[in-house]
Amino acid sequence: MPIDSTTTLSPPIRLSLRMTLSWALIDEVRHFVGAFCAWACPSLDRGEHLSLAVHELLQNAVVCTGEEAVELSLEIDPTVNHVSIRVTNTCTAPQAVALRERLEEMRREPDALRHYLATMAQTSAAERGGLGLARIRFEAQLGLEALFELGRVTVTASGTLVPPLPSESRLCHG
Amino acid sequence: MAEAKGPSVGVAGVRAGDTKYSVELVSGPEGPVVCFRGTISTPNPGAVLTPFVDAVHEALLEGRHASVVVDFRELEFCNSAGFKAFLYWIERIAGAEAGARYRLRFRSSPDRRWQRTSLLALSCFAPERIELL
Repeated sequence: MPIDSTTTLSPPIRLSLRMTLSWALIDEVRHFVGAFCAWACPSLDRGEHLSLAVHELLQNAVVCTGEEAVELSLEIDPTVNHVSIRVTNTCTAPQAVALRERLEEMRREPDALRHYLATMAQTSAAERGGLGLARIRFEAQLGLEALFELGRVTVTASGTLVPPLPSESRLCHG
Repeated sequence: MAEAKGPSVGVAGVRAGDTKYSVELVSGPEGPVVCFRGTISTPNPGAVLTPFVDAVHEALLEGRHASVVVDFRELEFCNSAGFKAFLYWIERIAGAEAGARYRLRFRSSPDRRWQRTSLLALSCFAPERIELL
C-alpha cells in the first residue's frame, strides 16, 4: 500500500489499526507496517524486523480472538530511539495462563538468543505455536510484556529503534 | 566425521506448496538445491513442509549427498510455524547414521533482512549442520 512520502509528522509517529482479524489479513498488515516503517524512518533499516514482530503478535492474537476486534498500535520515536508495538485482543483464562508462563520463562533467561535456542530445542514440529515470542525477542530485538484486563490482553513489544548489530561470530561461538 | 559424498542423481522432482508459496528440490550445478518461493504464513505449514522434508531427506540420503543448498532468495516471508520445518529437518539429519548426515547450506537475499537473523539463529542452533552462504 503506498504511503504519501511528502507528508511529515512530529515524533512520536503512531499507527493504529482496529480490525476483525483473519490469517489472510495478517500478511497485508505486515506489508503495510513495513511500508509505514520505511516512510516513518527512511534512514533506518528496521521495517522488516518490526513487521515480523507485528506478524507474530497478530498470529498469536488471531487464534485467541475469533470475531472480536484486534487492536494494533505502533509507535516510533526517533528522537528518543524507541519503538513499541501493542496488540490487544480477547483472551481466555487458560490462554492468559499459558502466555504468563511463556513470559515468565523468558524473564528467567536474560539472554535472548539462549532463550530462543532453548525454545527451539523444546518445540515440537507437530504442535502449533511456541516460537513466535522468542523469535520477536531475538530477531526483532524487542522486549515483551503483557497486561491482562477484563478478558483482554495487551502484548507490548518494545525496544530501541536502532539496536546494536549482532555479531555472528560472538553469537554462535562466544 | 566422514560425510557422505556422491553424485547428484535422483534428487529432482520433489515439490510441495500452497497458494502463497512453493518449494522444490532441483539438481543444480553445485548439487541438490531446495528452492523456496513466496510467503509461508499459513496456520500450519508443517502439514505441507513436513512431508516435503521427509521426501527430500530420503532423496538426499539415497543420493549420498554431503550437502544441499536451501535457496531463500525468493522467499518473501516465513512465519515461526514454518520455521519449525527447518528444526524438523535438522532433527531428521541428526537421526541419520553418522556417515550419512549432510549439511544445509542456506542462500539468503541481502534485501530480505529477516532472513539473515532467522538463519543466524538457526545456525547457532545446529552449527555443525548449517552453513550460511
